Amino acid sequence: MKKKNADFELIDTPNEVVTSDVSDADFVLQQADDSIHEQKFQTKPTTFLKDSLKRFRKNKSSVVAAFILGILILLAIFVPIFNTNDVSNAANSALKNLEPKLFNGGGFWDGTVTVRHKEVDYETGYPDPTLYYKSGIRNLVREGEHFTNVPNAFGKGGYIQTGFYGGYGIDQSYLYSTNPMDNSAANKFVLDLEQSHLTLTNFVAMDEDMLKEDLGKDGDIPENFKLGLTGLQFVYYYDEEEKAIDLVEPSLTHTIGIDGGESTIELNDLILANEDHLTSFESFYFRFVTSKDADITASDHVCSLIKSMVITTDSDDDKEQIYFSTKADKETGIEGISFTDAMKMSVRSFEVGSGSKQRRNCGYWNIESSTKNFKNIYLAKAVYASFTYDSYSATLGERENVPVSSYDVENYKRKGWVDYTIDIIYDGSTPIIDPDTFEFVILNEAKCPFIRAPEYEDVKDVFVTESGREGFTIYGDVMYYKYLGYETMPKFLFGTDKSGRDMFKYVFEGLRNSLLLGVLTFVVCFIIGLIWGAISGYFGGAVDLIMERVTDILSGVPWIVLMTIIILKAGSSFGTFALALCLTGWIGTASTTRTQFYRFRGREYVLASRTLGASDARLIAKHILPNAMGTIITGAVLMIPSVIFSEATISYLGLGFKNLSSLGVILSNNQSELTNHPYQLIFPSVVIALVMISFNLFGNGLRDAINPSLKGEGE
Amino acid sequence: MLKYVIKRIVLALITAFIILSITFILVKSLGIADTTFGAKENVKHAFYLKQLNLGYVVVFDHEVDGYGKLLAQFHIEGVDEYFYARPILEQYFAWLKNIFTAWDWGESTSIELRSQATDIIASRLPTSMYINIVSVVVSVPLGIGLGILAGLKKNTWIDHLISTLVMIFISIPSFVVISFLMYFLCYKNQLLPSMWPNPSDTTANKILAYFIPVMSLSFGSICGYTRFVRAELCEVMSSEYLLLARTKGLTKNQAITRHALKNAFVPILPSILAEFIGIFGGSMILEKLYGIPGIGDLYIRSINEKDYNVLMVDMAIFTTVGLLAGIVLDLSYGFIDPRIRMGEKK
Repeated sequence: MKKKNADFELIDTPNEVVTSDVSDADFVLQQADDSIHEQKFQTKPTTFLKDSLKRFRKNKSSVVAAFILGILILLAIFVPIFNTNDVSNAANSALKNLEPKLFNGGGFWDGTVTVRHKEVDYETGYPDPTLYYKSGIRNLVREGEHFTNVPNAFGKGGYIQTGFYGGYGIDQSYLYSTNPMDNSAANKFVLDLEQSHLTLTNFVAMDEDMLKEDLGKDGDIPENFKLGLTGLQFVYYYDEEEKAIDLVEPSLTHTIGIDGGESTIELNDLILANEDHLTSFESFYFRFVTSKDADITASDHVCSLIKSMVITTDSDDDKEQIYFSTKADKETGIEGISFTDAMKMSVRSFEVGSGSKQRRNCGYWNIESSTKNFKNIYLAKAVYASFTYDSYSATLGERENVPVSSYDVENYKRKGWVDYTIDIIYDGSTPIIDPDTFEFVILNEAKCPFIRAPEYEDVKDVFVTESGREGFTIYGDVMYYKYLGYETMPKFLFGTDKSGRDMFKYVFEGLRNSLLLGVLTFVVCFIIGLIWGAISGYFGGAVDLIMERVTDILSGVPWIVLMTIIILKAGSSFGTFALALCLTGWIGTASTTRTQFYRFRGREYVLASRTLGASDARLIAKHILPNAMGTIITGAVLMIPSVIFSEATISYLGLGFKNLSSLGVILSNNQSELTNHPYQLIFPSVVIALVMISFNLFGNGLRDAINPSLKGEGE
Repeated sequence: MLKYVIKRIVLALITAFIILSITFILVKSLGIADTTFGAKENVKHAFYLKQLNLGYVVVFDHEVDGYGKLLAQFHIEGVDEYFYARPILEQYFAWLKNIFTAWDWGESTSIELRSQATDIIASRLPTSMYINIVSVVVSVPLGIGLGILAGLKKNTWIDHLISTLVMIFISIPSFVVISFLMYFLCYKNQLLPSMWPNPSDTTANKILAYFIPVMSLSFGSICGYTRFVRAELCEVMSSEYLLLARTKGLTKNQAITRHALKNAFVPILPSILAEFIGIFGGSMILEKLYGIPGIGDLYIRSINEKDYNVLMVDMAIFTTVGLLAGIVLDLSYGFIDPRIRMGEKK
């Protein structure tokens, strides 16, 4: 405003008269003779689709997402076709758990894994041979000895800790010979007292002084840790009645350890003293009683620590001391209950006690069902080590004593890799190899699996069948990948899983199935939802009310139940799974369609069309639907990732595909490998995350492009 | 208003009733699961007597046709007993009668043998609730805070960073997040317990055990709130009344706290209230993975072990919680924003 005022400053003097020298002739008519038209647009006309595409291209993140999605879809289509590795259920277990390998060496993505702080065997210093083959272990560094309270097969010593928590109650921890709850005949045994002698020796329960002495200066007894008063009872069943004998009175103190096997308790005598006329009894168990002491507070852990306990069945006259009513597993009953090494004992019961059905026939710990009680292994010793593990050279490199059948060896000879003379002669009636003519040479060292030529002693298992077919097996040192038929050491980009499946193919096959399921479900649900929503939204009133209630109820029934029931009834195939997902999947589309139809059905153009005599079907299909389509379809595109998500979730819960792979199935199968082989989860997880992220970004971009007015919603 | 509230509650109850009825019939169509396999004869007999009392089976002293497969037969004290499943609809009415007359939802048949299904739920519900409460307490302020930050700093790097992270975390399935949290925090670095501790564990462990469940539950809802708050705030920030407020002379902070936030929170607060109702639920995947003895884990187990009575109670809770949350969501709009009238005819 101020500037405008400045414009009105007087610059000329008022006395001066301004005269204009413009005449009429200065004005000329420009287009006097032209006829004037509208001009055509200079720009090219654009379609709605082109316009949307232009808007979509401006959204950089959506374009990147679409690009990634494209690559993933291409991989999902082509990897399962061109990769010939077997990923069926019975894949090659010789290739199991190979680490992902892209580079040859360098420490990253090269098929090696660095393992830190792993329990190793006390004597040999090597880790669990079933998990880590010796030949793949490099740079083994042994760490010191540690105490551990976690049961593991490599520890040693320690104590069985049983007790209660919180300063009150009587702990009753059982050490069963067999499961007394299990009444099946195979697990029941009867001890014949006249022929067997049950003797308890070596029972050592720790007191604080003994514990201090055992631990030396390394171990500290925690402050709130009270070694309780230990009683020991021998409980046996006779005529279905439970009878208990106190072997060690709880009123005695914990220095009752029957040390070093010197003192023994003859259980037979005790039983016979208790019961006249008793000649045999049914299964038995030991009960540890940790009872309350007056000055124990609520924060104390009260427990007994038992170092060892041996039950022998010595008798003079007979070797077979214990007489069972059945022959089933007669030894384990006693073996399971005895221990001199608590760690070994705890692992043993750990292994057999993992499922209720596996507990049979073995001594195992049980504890009375109470939230206050606990049992554990305590202060066992374990040794740890760190090392680099090359899974490829371990499982596919040089291996000793590999059985190679004569069928394979003949093949090698045919290919010209080896030459040999192995004649089968008879030594009496058994077929053997003729030592005089035996000869074996390797001709092609690069291709032959044998590293060195097998000796005469390596040829075993000679047989001649009735039909005259001869055969043998060579136990030789081989390069394992050549033995499996590979020319060079194979490389698995994503590694292999516990069944030896190539994860690269497995993951993309899973992705393909997930995507197929997603698209199929999308198409079916979209059509159903569109029809349902159109009818409900267009007609409104009572029709709408009823249809809305139906969707309300249907969406209220938990989908996991619907799914489970369909799968249990109809089996878990691709078709039933898609059907189960379709049952409730259309509700979202239906409600969007309904809203859109509500919006447009009262518009003037619809009214105009109706006045001109258009039918309901025509109004729905020709007038309202095209207007509503953009919103409906963009809303529905996001259904694909949500179907993939639902499928993964339900498969992950163990209710999904049985014979088909999908991302959820893969993740669910490999969940147990999280600690040892995390890559088996990383690759499928990354793929599923990429799919979800790019689908969502792509969907949002598509929505913004088609419906610019909705931009930014739900971001 | 009151009439509307009552109407909504009654409608929700009817819906819950229909849902549970459908589920009961569907579940029962799978057949009676005898879970006493391998147990003693008298245990088995007791199981079937209980089923008889609950009205799910019928007993005869001889074999009959027309009742389908024979479920079990006993010969106790000279009396023959043949058990058959009753028709599903009869079972359904027996089930309804037990609930409405005696509030008896039946006994567990396999998870905790012979204890009342409602007792099992009652003993497991607190665990799920504690975790949910902690995660709501953590996620609501964090989500709102991040949302406000992103909304106010719209189109700056802070906004882009937050929006990208939200996008990523909302897209990754929860079981992937949980697996990797567990891998890095429990197995690799051993900072946290790798499993839900049993009641005898130390207090420190019990507190540490909350980290993973709370993290995995809150990631999702933090992202949800951030997105929601940001969208609402952005809309409000570009509205005319905020411009008017600034024109009247309010500072930016005053305008935001007095006008923008108040209006932005109209749709947000109801969803927070609904989230508080949701604490009665349990996350199935989390509880299964982390071994939490809550009602989500119970749900999966009862399906797998075919413990239908427990399943039905569990489902009743999930359904009721879901419907209740919906009602609270709808009603609270009216309480918070007087402009919105509830139950108005269109």
